[in-house]
Amino acid sequence: MPKEKTVVVGQSLKRIDARGKVTGETPYPGDIDMPGQAWMKLRFSDRAHARIVAIDISVAEALPGVVGILTSKDVPVNEYGLVMKDQPVLCGPGGDIPGTDVVRCYMDMIAVVVAETEAIAAQAVDLIDVTYEDLPAVFDAELALAENAPQLHPDTPDNVLCHYRIRKGDMEQGWSQADVVVEDVYETTWQEHAYLQPEAGLGYIDEEGRVTVVVAGQWTHEDQEQIYHALGLPQEQVRVIYPAIGGAFGGREDMSVQIVLALAAQASQRPVKTQWSREESILHHHKRHPIKVYAKWGATREGHIVAVEAKVVGDAGAYNYTSTKVLGNANMMASGPYEIDNIQVDTYGAYTNNIPCGAFRGFGAPQALFAAEGQVNKLAVALDMDPVEIRRRNVFKEGSLAPVGTPLPAGVSMPQVVDACARESYWQQAPDNSWQRSVDPEQPTSLTKRRGIGFAAGYKNVGYSFGFPEQSHARIELYGKAQIDEVVVKLAGADVGQGAHTVFSQMAAEAVGVPFEKVRLVASDTAHTGSSGSASASRLTFMTGNAVRGAAEQALERWAAEDRPAIGDFTYRPPKTTPYDPLTGRSEPNFAYGYTAQAVEVEVDIETGQVTLLNVVSANDVGRAINPQLVQGQIEGAVIQAAGYALMEYLVSDQGRIRNPYLSTYIIPTVYDVPPQVKSVILEYEDPIGPWGARGMAEMPFLPLTPAIAAAIYDATGVWINSQPFTPDKVVAKLREQNIGVI
Amino acid sequence: MSQRIHVQTEINGEAQDFLCDPRESLLDVLRNTMGLTGAKEGCRNGNCGACNVIMDGILVNSCLVLAVEAEGSSITTVEGINTPVGLHLIQQKYMDHAALQCGICTLGLIVATKALLDHNPAPTEHDVRLWLAGNLCRCTGYDKIVRAVLDAAEAMRENV
Repeated sequence: MPKEKTVVVGQSLKRIDARGKVTGETPYPGDIDMPGQAWMKLRFSDRAHARIVAIDISVAEALPGVVGILTSKDVPVNEYGLVMKDQPVLCGPGGDIPGTDVVRCYMDMIAVVVAETEAIAAQAVDLIDVTYEDLPAVFDAELALAENAPQLHPDTPDNVLCHYRIRKGDMEQGWSQADVVVEDVYETTWQEHAYLQPEAGLGYIDEEGRVTVVVAGQWTHEDQEQIYHALGLPQEQVRVIYPAIGGAFGGREDMSVQIVLALAAQASQRPVKTQWSREESILHHHKRHPIKVYAKWGATREGHIVAVEAKVVGDAGAYNYTSTKVLGNANMMASGPYEIDNIQVDTYGAYTNNIPCGAFRGFGAPQALFAAEGQVNKLAVALDMDPVEIRRRNVFKEGSLAPVGTPLPAGVSMPQVVDACARESYWQQAPDNSWQRSVDPEQPTSLTKRRGIGFAAGYKNVGYSFGFPEQSHARIELYGKAQIDEVVVKLAGADVGQGAHTVFSQMAAEAVGVPFEKVRLVASDTAHTGSSGSASASRLTFMTGNAVRGAAEQALERWAAEDRPAIGDFTYRPPKTTPYDPLTGRSEPNFAYGYTAQAVEVEVDIETGQVTLLNVVSANDVGRAINPQLVQGQIEGAVIQAAGYALMEYLVSDQGRIRNPYLSTYIIPTVYDVPPQVKSVILEYEDPIGPWGARGMAEMPFLPLTPAIAAAIYDATGVWINSQPFTPDKVVAKLREQNIGVI
Repeated sequence: MSQRIHVQTEINGEAQDFLCDPRESLLDVLRNTMGLTGAKEGCRNGNCGACNVIMDGILVNSCLVLAVEAEGSSITTVEGINTPVGLHLIQQKYMDHAALQCGICTLGLIVATKALLDHNPAPTEHDVRLWLAGNLCRCTGYDKIVRAVLDAAEAMRENV
């Protein structure tokens, strides 16, 4: 189908926020001060699991310069949580909601201190005397699910936060058809978001008496909802404003300083500022889930995958956050982007006394695909078949049934994406159309270094899944007389750095039919914009893009009817999704997907175990690149974040306590660690219901990298590493087991 | 308790003086006392480079410099790279190449780039990577930053 002709959409225009960001003029939450402001510091839990018997604030309160100290009794409705309200705002004794006197992890908050200076607030925090009565704790998801494990939440027996099933086809028949079976266990660990701007914010009472929080988040209206719920206020009494946001990646989807800043500002009736240190940030916001996958896959001699059985166990930590959603995704991704007749998956989310886990770019898909893609690569080895060829024989195509028993939405491009990645990297098609690797890595002359190539694919939903209410609002106001002089776009889609505001402006200019320069964006203030939903699930371009398009059409109709200004108010609602059937998993899980495949080349130092990523080719179907340069930025950024995940990022948690909460000990990639280039192959197979055909795309390039690197390490050394990250100590130990690198 | 210390220095070409505590960092004084918030606090530990400034020609993490050490020195912050008539070529090239996303690391990177090109007007790609290895970025994957710096270096050489 020919692409819709566009003028502004499809151009690599400069970001509308670029100038302020290169000059330093753009304020972030930590840069904003108000006259007369006080400072807030928080007292966090000193135990992984304990009942708080008493909190003595008398000494701290008497410290000169302390404005006030808030504890659990000062929180009107002492509960919060994005999906379910299972976490106390402040843990402590006395309260109407059962269980709020218990701390369940080290990131639980106990007291809010407001003082004239940050130093006094910090000093007062240490003077608060908390008396604990220790409770037995559990730090491993499988142990938490076992009999007689310590129980975290009174209404969640056996710590089973969720259990999802997929039952498709007939397993007995599947195994009987299989000529080869591979079975393995895959493990992933926590990942820290490490956005460069630690949590910060300012709370105050605005000119209309609203409790206002200036903060960096991912969904203004969700922050607002959680604040007004906890403060027991009507919605219109709470306002949330996002200035520039210093990165998010899912890590700002849940509350950090929002509710407590609102409490502090309301109690003190003063502006209150807070700024977390890097240590506070790493210790006190959620992480990517550690997930263990037991996988057994079978295929015929011809490379047809006929049976998949998997058990997926995720460590949710002490509270749900978005775990029930993340594990729902992992459940579906456990059989990869393949049409397989016989599938049985059981996925469990377990409460533990570890740090809570939640959203992080990929949302459960990276962990599940590490296992699924590892299994496909091992089947290829077992069948002596090319890894691209086995994928081509099994991947989803238009009309394929998803593992949940319903057809994928139209616009499935997985075959084309695999082909493009293969062609642009190390493969070619033989005369019989089968794929064969055409390039072998140039082996280094050093005897201790070996190079290898790997391939993996992936897919992920765009927008909320499994029946979670999904909609996005935008408003467009057209100003002028005979001609449109100005287009004002009002929406709340957060620009967390990905460039969403620029993309919205481009789409508004295109839809209204004016030059880009005529668009002015008013964004991310609950006092002025409707809810556009979160900057997550690769959804803003798709969802808010459709809202912008709808609002523009309405506004143009009013313009034609001589309204001045002409206003369009539009809420886009995508096709409905449905939750898993509890027994079979049958559902209509999603309304759109993005597809991806990657090929990598690595060098393994068999003496030290060091793995160096030499080359990455990332093919992504983005539907329509609204701004190709920004799309490329998302691919490059996701790939390098995934390279950190695969090769170096290792969060050390000891009995629930994070031991490396610094950027000197939690190592993320520098410019010196990354490959010379990431080749972005941007494909545009339009999504039938995406705006101008666009799909979401920013998470997808994260997904295949870890399994592709695992395959490349195998190609180089003949050794599979089934647990991420592939750090030198782990790699060298695996090599030694096989007597590789022993002199 | 602590005695406030009077420090005389030069910031972005202008003589400045301030009072500070002996233990205060240069970063805190720049941000909180001087109102220069272009230097960002990413770690307070010298790991991320978001607070980079140039001090007497040397690139430093201002979180690791005591404010009292600024006595008699000349400091350039990102606000001093931005000329009154417009953007510096380095800033322009970061924009052209979309070498920024969230922008928190960008200001430190621009200062680090300025220090590199002051010191080495014709860096190789390896020089750029080695020099900027002290500046963490979590968004971009770095490639567009490297292209922006190499392009800025070339443009600045042509402009001389």
